Amino acid sequence: MSIGGSDLDKAIQQLRSCRPIPENQVRELCYKARELLIEEGNVVGVDAPVTICGDIHGQFHDLMELFRVGGDVPDTNYLFMGDFVDRGFYSLESFLLLLCLKVRYPDRITLIRGNHESRQITTVYGFYDECLRKYGSANVWRYCCEVFDYLALGALVTGAATSLSPTDGPLAENTNLDALPSQDEEIEIETLNAAGEIMYRYARNSDSQSSNTSQPNSNPASSSPVQTPSRVGAAGTGATSSANGSSRNDTGAVLCVHGGLSPLIDTIDKIRLLDRKQEVPHEGAMCDLLWSDPDEIDGWGLSPRGAGFLFGADIVKCFNHKNDLSLIARAHQLVMEGFKEMFESTIVTVWSAPNYCYRCGNVAAILELGEDGSNAGYVRRSNGDQGGGGGGWVLGSNVGPNGQATNSNRRLSSVLGESLQQRSRDGPGRRYRVFEAAPQDSRGMPAKKPVADYFL
Amino acid sequence: MSTANIPPRALHVIDNLSEHRFKVPAKCINDGDDVSFFLASRAYTDILTFIFQLTAAVIPRKVKDGETGKTTIREWRLQDDDITVPPIVEKLGQLMETFKSIIDEAPPDTGPRRFGNVSFRKWYDIVRERVADGLLDDYLPADILVLGSEAAVPARAELEAYLIGSFGSSQRLDYGTGHELSLLAFLGCLWKLGAFPESNDGNVERALILRVVEPYLELIRRLILTYTLEPAGSHGVWGLDDHSFLPYILGSAQLSPAISSTSEIAMEGSVPSAPDPGDVAKANAVQRERPRNMYFSAIGFIYDVKKGPFWEHSPILFDISGVKAGWAKINKGMLKMYDKEVLSKFPVVQHFPFGSLFVWEKDPAAAEIAKTVHTASQPNSSAPTARSQPPLRDPIGDLGAQTTRALWAGGSAMPPASGTAAPWASSRVPTRPEVSVPTGPNQPTRAPWASNAPLPPGPGGTTTAPWAKPGASAPSGETQGIPSTRAPWADKKPQG
Repeated sequence: MSIGGSDLDKAIQQLRSCRPIPENQVRELCYKARELLIEEGNVVGVDAPVTICGDIHGQFHDLMELFRVGGDVPDTNYLFMGDFVDRGFYSLESFLLLLCLKVRYPDRITLIRGNHESRQITTVYGFYDECLRKYGSANVWRYCCEVFDYLALGALVTGAATSLSPTDGPLAENTNLDALPSQDEEIEIETLNAAGEIMYRYARNSDSQSSNTSQPNSNPASSSPVQTPSRVGAAGTGATSSANGSSRNDTGAVLCVHGGLSPLIDTIDKIRLLDRKQEVPHEGAMCDLLWSDPDEIDGWGLSPRGAGFLFGADIVKCFNHKNDLSLIARAHQLVMEGFKEMFESTIVTVWSAPNYCYRCGNVAAILELGEDGSNAGYVRRSNGDQGGGGGGWVLGSNVGPNGQATNSNRRLSSVLGESLQQRSRDGPGRRYRVFEAAPQDSRGMPAKKPVADYFL
Repeated sequence: MSTANIPPRALHVIDNLSEHRFKVPAKCINDGDDVSFFLASRAYTDILTFIFQLTAAVIPRKVKDGETGKTTIREWRLQDDDITVPPIVEKLGQLMETFKSIIDEAPPDTGPRRFGNVSFRKWYDIVRERVADGLLDDYLPADILVLGSEAAVPARAELEAYLIGSFGSSQRLDYGTGHELSLLAFLGCLWKLGAFPESNDGNVERALILRVVEPYLELIRRLILTYTLEPAGSHGVWGLDDHSFLPYILGSAQLSPAISSTSEIAMEGSVPSAPDPGDVAKANAVQRERPRNMYFSAIGFIYDVKKGPFWEHSPILFDISGVKAGWAKINKGMLKMYDKEVLSKFPVVQHFPFGSLFVWEKDPAAAEIAKTVHTASQPNSSAPTARSQPPLRDPIGDLGAQTTRALWAGGSAMPPASGTAAPWASSRVPTRPEVSVPTGPNQPTRAPWASNAPLPPGPGGTTTAPWAKPGASAPSGETQGIPSTRAPWADKKPQG
């Protein structure tokens, strides 16, 4: 049976209801996906607007929650940074659904490889067991692993706006109005909850002086002694100044990669030179990109993972400067708040598996980058809807008497970097949507209990 | 192999303790071949023997009333006040309480953290200090602790190593079956040193299980909850349990059919009062059973920490709850699974240290193991392909020749014990790849090939990476100058 056209839609429908598709359809799907992925470069070019997602780990119902919060495919343009499988109960359904969506809407969803998209890792962490259990043979696992070998290693998002177009969501209950920027400021970071209510909002460089003075104390461990690439004089960064509101259209690109950087890779072009169509090696650049972690160190360190490396702020700043990046988005590490910006917002970890493994109690996040300039990606509400709001930047009628407070006490949540200063590029405007695990009442219990071999 | 070499039914107490040379336990398992060696070692035989010994002891007994001649069934439940508890066992139980109370001295840190609570290191350090300062003197008999005290290495050095190793990793802030194994070794050491009185139909072992092992598990659960310790070695929903294994072995034994002697151990069935295995999926039944049974006690803890449908977050346990042949069948399966998934896994046993009591020496009774055994589950394995089930050593098959059919031996269909193939190495066991990795869900995934993974950074992340190997591809000290000119990758070529 072929899986083109309406069959594909049927498969999508079936997978959306968390039912696996038959083995022959999986084979067909994987074949089609490979044909598609083989055409992609190691670093896929993606235009903003885009919604960037971190680890899923087979948490299918939470993936559905992600789509509910972030919008459906193809309405929303998605970029998933790998680790679709392992540990969760529904790696198969999650990965096959994402793959179906990829084949159906190739330009609206990008999948890159995580360290778990590997034969060796999936045999340890559950995906292999899951396929065996759900199909009675390892064929589906094998088909999927062949697709893994073709997944891109990274993505480069270009055209992201430096400031956010506004949402007009109501305030979340605990939002501190005093901490919200005034309406004539550019919004650099906004955090929304799953209901679309505003939790935090930060203006760009809203009070650069106070930011500067507060920076040295904020996190001594990460204040690098290294001379970081300055925006002054760097080629291509001349337009970037610390002045408010002047840096709207000059954001650098955003590199998305599952793990992080490699000591063998100093330019994005070197990623493009790798031969990626293979099992993830135990060492080398390809391995590092999928395994490394940022850490509060200088330079490079050995990773406790036994693969990849740890890399410090100096490495990130240098890499970003050299490659004209404003931000690296990566996944790979659980963060309780769903996302964590580090190294003065030059790198962010995005984690999209809420209450990881049913017990960690973390929330998940996705990162939305808006489209530069025209704001065509967003429908800007008319002022009329806003009850006297200005350009729609701020909170409209929700703004209370304190809504105009200055930002001298701009509050940075612990998940945000200690300072937004000292970057060679202004980062894109970043909207984080944070969500919790999907409700679990409606899931049907399996009728059969296949007995493990030990117990036969 | 020869049936003459029959492993003892209980751990052997060392004969001539005054001449025994103790040894500080040291790591010996460094690669996959070492695991193969381990599986043919005296230490491995001892570990299995001790587990079987404990398991057999906690199976219900048939008790014949001398006067009436009526037979009743005696079960061994957790809150059984009517069991004989030797003083040393009582003391060991109190030792666990002491460890528990130290938690109050190291309250969880309230500062920002990624997951595991760093105050666990405080608790761990306090425990380590007090043990070094002679804490065990208050709990163990002097004649045990004095052993070897005139020699270079006293007996307590071995005891303390296993005890300290049983609380999890203070570095990684995790806990798993490897640590649980260390507790077993601690108790096994005491047994070998003759610290316990002579057992009468397993009464000492029972006391150990109910008065030491379960309190130890309670301590561990407190530690996990207090410091959010990560599961070491967890495979997410695809593992039996995030942290523990022993309670499933011992708890299923508690519910197996009653016996008059260990020669009667049943392969199937349950004690009449046993809950249905399917009850593990029912929250109220779990609440009812958890105070008296170790299996349900462990399941109850899963209910405490996990949110979501049981069948979804614990599918392996859920599947086992469908076993129709009763708790004895489950017990047998758990023993096989422990041998395979814990004792045969490099990531778990690589940290187990060997001394003079658990000995890194070939067991002359052990069957010759094919070179290929287990190596598939070890570092340096190639990408998995379909492979046949490796012939496991059958430490137990040796027993088959005896009249006693060991509890773990196969049913009537068992071939005569040849000693070469494990009873469970049947064709039904799927040909599954054998790679394995230590890691928790929260903890970053560790590479399966990372056999000698460097230690993670200590609590105080410093400017240079002290663990960075000199000459490694990531020079740690040289990047501090001007990163733009002396990039660490300067003399490296991209791969591929």
